Amino acid sequence: MSTLARKTKKAKVGTSRMGLMDYIIFVILTLGALSILVPFWNVIMISFATQKEYAANPLLMWPKDPTLASYKALFADGSIGTGYWNTLKLMAAGLPLSLFLTVSMAYGLSRPKFPGKKPIFFLILFTMIFNGGIVPLYLVMRDLHLTGSLWAVILTGSFSVFNMILMMNYFQGLPESLMESARLDGAGEWRILASIVLPLAAPIMATIALFYGVAFWNSWYDAMIFLRKADQLPLQNVLRAIIVESQTNASNATSVGQGVAQSFSTGMKMAAVFVTMVPIMAFFPLLQKHFAKGVLTGAIKT
Amino acid sequence: MKPAAISPGSSKGEQSKFKRLFVEIWKYRMTYTLLIPGLIWLILFSYLPMGGLSLAFKHYRASDGIWGSEWTGLENFMYVFRDPAFIDAVWRTLYVNIIKLFITFPFPILLALLLNELRMRRYKKVLQTAFTFPHFLSWIIVSGIIINVLAYDGFVNSLLALLGLPTINFLGSEQNFYPMIILTDIWKSTGWGAIVFLAAISGIDQEQYEAAQIDGATRMQQMFRVTLPNIMPTVTIMFILSVGGLMSSGFDQIFNLANAATQNVSQVLDVYIYRITFQSSTDFGFSTAVSLFRSLVNMILLLLADRAAKWMGGDGLFR
Repeated sequence: MSTLARKTKKAKVGTSRMGLMDYIIFVILTLGALSILVPFWNVIMISFATQKEYAANPLLMWPKDPTLASYKALFADGSIGTGYWNTLKLMAAGLPLSLFLTVSMAYGLSRPKFPGKKPIFFLILFTMIFNGGIVPLYLVMRDLHLTGSLWAVILTGSFSVFNMILMMNYFQGLPESLMESARLDGAGEWRILASIVLPLAAPIMATIALFYGVAFWNSWYDAMIFLRKADQLPLQNVLRAIIVESQTNASNATSVGQGVAQSFSTGMKMAAVFVTMVPIMAFFPLLQKHFAKGVLTGAIKT
Repeated sequence: MKPAAISPGSSKGEQSKFKRLFVEIWKYRMTYTLLIPGLIWLILFSYLPMGGLSLAFKHYRASDGIWGSEWTGLENFMYVFRDPAFIDAVWRTLYVNIIKLFITFPFPILLALLLNELRMRRYKKVLQTAFTFPHFLSWIIVSGIIINVLAYDGFVNSLLALLGLPTINFLGSEQNFYPMIILTDIWKSTGWGAIVFLAAISGIDQEQYEAAQIDGATRMQQMFRVTLPNIMPTVTIMFILSVGGLMSSGFDQIFNLANAATQNVSQVLDVYIYRITFQSSTDFGFSTAVSLFRSLVNMILLLLADRAAKWMGGDGLFR
């Protein structure tokens, strides 16, 4: 009914001509989108330009003689490569672990009843509104002898109550009769989870895997706290060292004198930004679809 | 489990009640094994640190650890509340987040309204893609872009100079720090924030628009008299939810956009906690006291937000 009504409205709208207001809206929205796209474009173009050309024209929109010099210098430095490798290790260990923890607990909690379900669920929800904060977490990690190891970062990021609840809601929507008939055939809960529930859960698995994937890709705070050695740092922290920390040094340096030679040119910095951003860009169509679904079913209804 | 059949107080009744409970638990033992991996994680990395907050009432000594250090009552808190840097950090956090709340908050609504009015459907998709993209990037990547574009010799200032306008020191001035934070927050999060409102708009009954058109309402009037009132409940809930984050939001952004020149104005509570814990003296008792204060205030704000959202007729944070 309502889709029909929407269709008739769409048809009507399509035939009527553009008014003044349509042009105003068009211009405002286009300017807004440009304010987002131009900085990205500028960054990418600088990474392909020579240092000389950028210095002459910061408004660079198209380099006259594009070069890969910045990328060559960046990879020759090696820290980005190490960062990539560490982030890949983080995800290779973190994704399976986080999916295992999330799926098992979500399926357990989606069971209609068992003694103690309410208090257990409350204790889990409570961690969403109250936490110890970073200081006790750091001390606990130190007591577990995990500081200085990538495992501290992997473990901290490998469970999210929010994601677990999203998945639990999905499981609760599956027909219980399927699980019941498997139970009558003598299958245990783990067996039912693996052979009946998971094959039906592909959409939510994709969504949650992307949630954890992006979170691991973008995480940097835990690594900054728990890791000590530079060669252990994930990609984001390497980028931070290249961009943010060198900027701090640069602004110190300007007060002393301009002469401090920086190891990273602007071109190399922008190449580092681009290299860190590329995987998100590649997965973006998928991310957009799944994240919107997540935020709409989760943030509002959960 | 039917406790009604058992006479309360009699020891035999009690015994069989426990027995029944045990039988019941045994029946569901498989379900509990499903919960165990997640619960172990929560105990280790949520509840153990929560217990570690007891350090706020202790004098921390590395040799004694969290659990063995000596109790000192409220001593740490006396030092915390006497530290002017702490008081400043708390007010600064509230100040930044409140102005952010009032200035940033309307932008996603405005964007959703404009996108809804746009008649070119294909172009709308393209625009939405552009607007939501920055949301998926970390604040480190976004800072890299912003530091480049807003630098003294960067894109924006070169453009201003070209137009004959005075250049602006966006990044290195205490005075411009909060406006810069607000501007970049709008840049990164408006498109993503609009999604919720666009969803609310698409749920509006089309008959209301048809009725308005029959009454001769212009598109402006339809926007303000039909669309806006219909999404008001969503607007209210989103506003209340952002109040819940007044003490905690914005760390990633501020920490990565701050530099030596803006060291003082960028010291919000989370930055303060990071600096006192990991950069200056490591008095973990003191840091933990600050942490406990932060967690308590956050919890109170969240619970108040939840209450308010429910009171306004929404679902609240938890169903």
